[in-house]
Amino acid sequence: MSLAAEAFVSQIAAAEPWPQNATLYQPLREDQILLSDCASSLAVQAYLRMCGLPVRVCCRANAEYMSPSGKVPFIHVGNQVVSELGPIVQFTKAKGHSLSDGLDDVQRAEMKAYMELVNNMLLTAEWCDDTTASEITRQRYSSPYSWPLNHILAYQKQWEVRRKMNAIGWAGKGLEQVYEDVSQCCQALSQRLGTQPFFFNKQPTELDALVFGHLFTILTTRLTTDELSERIKSCSNLLSFCRRIEQTYFEEDKDSQSAGSQYSRGPSLF
Amino acid sequence: MGTVHARSLDPLPMQGPELGVQADDMDLGEPEHEPQQEVLENKDVRCFSLSFQNSEDILTYEIADVFQAKNLIDVMKKSHDARQRLLRLGIFRQVEVVIDTSEGEDALPNGLDVTFEVKELRRLTGSYNTMVGNNEGSMVLGLKLPNIFGRAEKLTFQFSYGTKETSYGLSFFKPQAGHFERNFSVNIYKVTGQFPWSSLRETDRGISTEFSFPIWKTNHTVKWEGVWRELSCLARTASFAVREESGHSLKSSLSHAMVIDTRNSAILPKKGALLKVNQELAGYTGGDASFLKEDFEIQVNRRLFWDSVLSASLWGGMLLPIGDKPTSIADRFYLGGPTSVRGFSMYSIGPQSEGDYLGGEAYWAGGIHLYTPLPFRPGRGGFGDLFRTHFFLNAGNLCNLNYGEGPRAHLSRLAECIRWSYGAGIVLRLGNIARLELNYCIPMGVQSGDRICDGVQFGAGIRFL
Repeated sequence: MSLAAEAFVSQIAAAEPWPQNATLYQPLREDQILLSDCASSLAVQAYLRMCGLPVRVCCRANAEYMSPSGKVPFIHVGNQVVSELGPIVQFTKAKGHSLSDGLDDVQRAEMKAYMELVNNMLLTAEWCDDTTASEITRQRYSSPYSWPLNHILAYQKQWEVRRKMNAIGWAGKGLEQVYEDVSQCCQALSQRLGTQPFFFNKQPTELDALVFGHLFTILTTRLTTDELSERIKSCSNLLSFCRRIEQTYFEEDKDSQSAGSQYSRGPSLF
Repeated sequence: MGTVHARSLDPLPMQGPELGVQADDMDLGEPEHEPQQEVLENKDVRCFSLSFQNSEDILTYEIADVFQAKNLIDVMKKSHDARQRLLRLGIFRQVEVVIDTSEGEDALPNGLDVTFEVKELRRLTGSYNTMVGNNEGSMVLGLKLPNIFGRAEKLTFQFSYGTKETSYGLSFFKPQAGHFERNFSVNIYKVTGQFPWSSLRETDRGISTEFSFPIWKTNHTVKWEGVWRELSCLARTASFAVREESGHSLKSSLSHAMVIDTRNSAILPKKGALLKVNQELAGYTGGDASFLKEDFEIQVNRRLFWDSVLSASLWGGMLLPIGDKPTSIADRFYLGGPTSVRGFSMYSIGPQSEGDYLGGEAYWAGGIHLYTPLPFRPGRGGFGDLFRTHFFLNAGNLCNLNYGEGPRAHLSRLAECIRWSYGAGIVLRLGNIARLELNYCIPMGVQSGDRICDGVQFGAGIRFL
C-alpha cells in the first residue's frame, strides 16, 4: 500500500474499537493448508492472543484468493480486511494495541530476516523437492477442486513458487541442504534466546509469535520424514519456549475442544 | 434466343418479345396468348455449369429443388430460393442465376439451362481493428476460413489484446450436407468481463460443443460446456460478500434450448411471436458447480392501427442449487438497466451488500410496449423508417427463494416488492442486429438498495425487454 493509503487506513482503523466478531481466514485445516501457510496463520493467532484481542478462525477453501494480497492468513475486522502479520501488527497498533514499543529497529529487522529465511526454507522443502511436491503438497493444495482444475491450479502454484525460489537462488537446493539450513537457523535462534523466557525483554512481542508459529508448525507436522522436527527438538530451549507459549496462550483450547473447537490448531506438543 | 436473368424475384413481364420467341419453337398447340397468363410450359430442366472448388454433393442438395420445377415461373421461383440457400452456406460472396434455353447437341426441345454463376469468398480472410472504450484500449485480430474442408465448414479465430484484459476464441462450425439447419460447432475461448455493479471481475476459460437441429417448427440446441471460472474483486473496496466468492471453480454443464420464432424480424418486429425456453444442468458431468437453471422468454407482437405495433414480453427464470453448496454469483440472475427494467441502473435491482449487487436465484420481468412511427413522420421512406417512438411499461422482481417452502410461498415472494417503471422514448434500429434507445423513465416501486436512473436513460444492445 502507498504511504497515503496506509495513513488513511490507520486513521479509519483507529476510530473503532476491536469488535467481538473479528474473524481470521485460512485454508482448510485438515486437507488443504500447507506448512508455510499454517506457520503464518499460527503466528498471527498467537500475536492476537498475546494482545488479548479475540478472534474467531474460519477455514475456507478459497482463502488465498479472498485475501487482498493473495497471502494467507487475513483478518476481517469490522469493514477492514488486512492480510499478513506485518500489516496486521500495524493495524492493531493504530487501534492502540502494541507489543513492541520498546524494541529498536535493528532487532526487529534481524528477527524478521530469520523468519523470512525459515519461511523460504519451508516453501522450498514443500514445492521444490519433487517427491514431497508430488506426494503431499500438490494433492493437499488442490484437494477442494475437481478434475482437471486441481492439476491446473497445483502446477500453476508450483511453477510460481519455483520461479520465486529460482530468483533467490534456492531452487537447486536439495532436501538435505534445506534441513541443514533450518538446523543452522535454529542453532542461531537458540543462542539468541538463551535462558530468557522470550526473545526480547520479559514480555512477548510479535517476533515471539512469529518464531512460535514457524517452530510449532515444523514440530507438529510431518513431511515425508520427521527429520526437520527432530533437528528442532535437539535445541531444548526452543522446545520449552514453544511449550510455554502454547500453555500460556492456547490453554483454553483444551477446555473448549470438547464443545467443538473453532480454534485451528493441529496436534499439540503435550 | 431470349435469355432471362433471374437475380431476384422481380415482377414478371406480362408480355414481350422475350417470352414470345419461345412460342415459335414449340409445338404445343397452345396458341392462346392471354396477357395475364403464363405462356410457356417447359418440362425438362437440366443444370449445367457447376464449377466449384468444393464437394459437389453439398451444393446439389441446395439446388436440387430446381429440378422439380414444371414451368418457367416455377424455375424462376425455385432458382431464387436456391440462390438464397447457396448464400446462406456462407461460402459465396455472390451468386447469380442465368436461365436460358437449352442449346448444344444434348439439348432437350423444351429444356432450360439454369446457370449459377458464383464468386467464392477467399479461403482465408483476416481483419484487424483497434477498439477504445471504458478506459481501455485493445487491438482485435480476426481470422476466418469460410470453407476449409469443402463442405461449408467454417473456422474463425478472434484475438483481442488490451491494456487491461486479453481474450481469444476459436470456433469451428459444420453444417450437415443438405440440411443447413442441422449443424454442430465447437468453441474454445477465454473471455474476461468486468462487472462494476458487483465489483467483480470474471475470467472464463472454456470449451463448448453444441448441436442444433430443427424439429417441425421449433429449433433445438443441445450444448455441453466446460468452463474454468476465476472470480476476483474489481476494487479493494468490494464488499465482503463478493470477496467471499473470489476464487476458482469449474462448471461442466449440459444445456438445452428450444426456440420458436415466427416474427418477421428480430429487431422491432411487426408481427409474430417468440418463445425461447432454456434449461441448464450442471454438476452431473463433473465440475464444482451443481445446479439446475431454467429460464424462458416470450414475446408477442401485434400490428395496430396507423402502422403502430403493440408488443408484450415476459421473461423469467429460476436457479435451483443441487446439494448443499450455495450458488455462485456467476450463475445467478440479474435485473435492471436500459435493456431490462428501464429506469433502474444496470443490474441494480435485488439483493445487495454494501452497494454491490449479488444477483438472485429467481426473477421475472415483463414489458408492454407501443411502437409508433415518429410524429409527423420525417424522412419517411428512408432514414426516418429506422426510428420509432416508443411508450413502455416495465415491471419485474428479483429475489432469492427459500427452497424449503412450497410453490405458493415462492409465488408470493416473487409478487411482493414489484419494481416497475413507465415512460417514453425513441428507438433506432441498427441493421438487423441491434438497437439503440433513448428513453425518459419514471421508476416506481423502488426498494431500499436499488439504484435508479430516473429521467433520461440511454441503452444499446441486442436483447431488450
